[in-house]
Amino acid sequence: MIAVTIQEFKLNIKNMLIWSLSVGILGFICTIMYQSMEGDVMDMADQFSKMGAFSDAFGMSTLSIATLPGFFATEVGTVHGLGSALFAAFLASCLLSKEEDGHTGEFLFSLPINRWKVITGKAISLLIHLVLFTAICGAFYFLAFAYLGEDIPTKDMMTFLLGMLLMNIEVASISYLFSSISSKNRMGLGLGIALVFYSYDLVGRVVPSMKDYLFIGPFSYTNASEIFAGKNAPEYSIIIALIVIIAAIGGTYITYTKRDLAS
Amino acid sequence: MENVISIQNLTKTYGKKRGVADVSFDVHEGEIFGFIGPNGAGKSTTIRSMLGFLKFNSGNIQILGMDSIKDHEKILREVGYMPSEALFYPTMKVSEVINYAAAVRGLDCAKEAAMLCDRLKIDTSKKIKELSLGNRKKVSIVCAMQHRPKLFIFDEPTSGLDPLMQNTFFELIKEYVGKGTTCMLSTHVLPEVKRYCDRAAVMREGHLIKTAPVEELIKTSVKNVKLTADGKQEDFVFKGDINELIASLGSRKIENLTIEEPSLEELFMHFYENESEEQ
Repeated sequence: MIAVTIQEFKLNIKNMLIWSLSVGILGFICTIMYQSMEGDVMDMADQFSKMGAFSDAFGMSTLSIATLPGFFATEVGTVHGLGSALFAAFLASCLLSKEEDGHTGEFLFSLPINRWKVITGKAISLLIHLVLFTAICGAFYFLAFAYLGEDIPTKDMMTFLLGMLLMNIEVASISYLFSSISSKNRMGLGLGIALVFYSYDLVGRVVPSMKDYLFIGPFSYTNASEIFAGKNAPEYSIIIALIVIIAAIGGTYITYTKRDLAS
Repeated sequence: MENVISIQNLTKTYGKKRGVADVSFDVHEGEIFGFIGPNGAGKSTTIRSMLGFLKFNSGNIQILGMDSIKDHEKILREVGYMPSEALFYPTMKVSEVINYAAAVRGLDCAKEAAMLCDRLKIDTSKKIKELSLGNRKKVSIVCAMQHRPKLFIFDEPTSGLDPLMQNTFFELIKEYVGKGTTCMLSTHVLPEVKRYCDRAAVMREGHLIKTAPVEELIKTSVKNVKLTADGKQEDFVFKGDINELIASLGSRKIENLTIEEPSLEELFMHFYENESEEQ
């Protein structure tokens, strides 16, 4: 099983580095842009906070973008949330199905390793990649705060990053389940799920009748503006996330160990 | 003689589609066993059921005295399988694939792998995506043999290999079999079966229609008949009592008659013809 984890880690390390460096550097640039925009942002912040649904959707009514944490939460919160969710879906949605899609399954499954161990080994490599992605991006964000000479809101930043990691795991676990069902790569489906979750949260913050149901989606507990404003995650949102993760991973084991493997 | 493979009443369907039905045969220890049949006959379904890729509907498969479902992982430790397609992760180097196969087995197969790569002339520094089908097949051979398994299962192993490499491949098989390995060779290349196999099973449309020593398959009651009679030349395969054939020809004016053992190819075709076409 360890060999599968190492193999899968090696196969995806380039992707992980490309994605994490892209998102991390983008977040870093966005954050340090605050310095050059500081004066203008002061004027804009008041206007942005009064733009009704738009302000709600992007958290500008919750936290002032005139402050660095507010600016970071509004700008980088969106970039990291979307970028990391797409990365998680991208990685997980083909992790199992690629063996059949690429006809490598006959090689892998002729080795003395059962499907349960393959699922576990690949899932561990997926988790390691998601943790590394978060760590690399996080390092860039801390670096950006340090570069600006501002105090780093460590607690909020860690809550933000851990929340994002949990959201990534939730998106990845659902994508992993799809990967176990299909013998063809369904990357589009995985990316679509990530975008649907993001859209659900965005729309949910605009449409009043949906606000009570935001907690269902994984972006509800990763709203950077709320985290940096010191608000707690919506009630039950973390529990729902854990239930979804357990159900999706359980479903992956059940479907993948029971079905025929395509040649 | 101990059975290395024992399949009893194996049935596998794909929804409403036929896979294999009621297939039973044994492979004895130390033999090279041919598994013959055209595409779609059910050879790969049988092999894939043996290796646990497919969940079969009914029947029982024992490999090396172990149950194919219960002892799946233990069985695969002792099996070297070469799939027909020989596809690997394209971005990996040949050496990485070979090492990966050994690592999953938890074995250091470096010495045996080096010997095999040398015999098969494999450049281990190349990436998989740079390899032709033949070279990928060679990598597959190394992965199947490097851990010195007790049982080889080869599915169409020689397609894509040049004749020299085919010879090397069969030399290797004979060497391993000489040391006690058993080999199941699924193929539709009949000369390979005739030349290398001790016994063979013939599959047709999901059913096993014959299992016998290769010599016996050739020496069946089926005869290849070339007849020139009444000014006409006729070539056909006859199955049955040869006296009946002679009696049936009694009323005709025979100019020339040759009755000979069929080649394995002809025999193979005979198995696939309908009863009405046989005589």
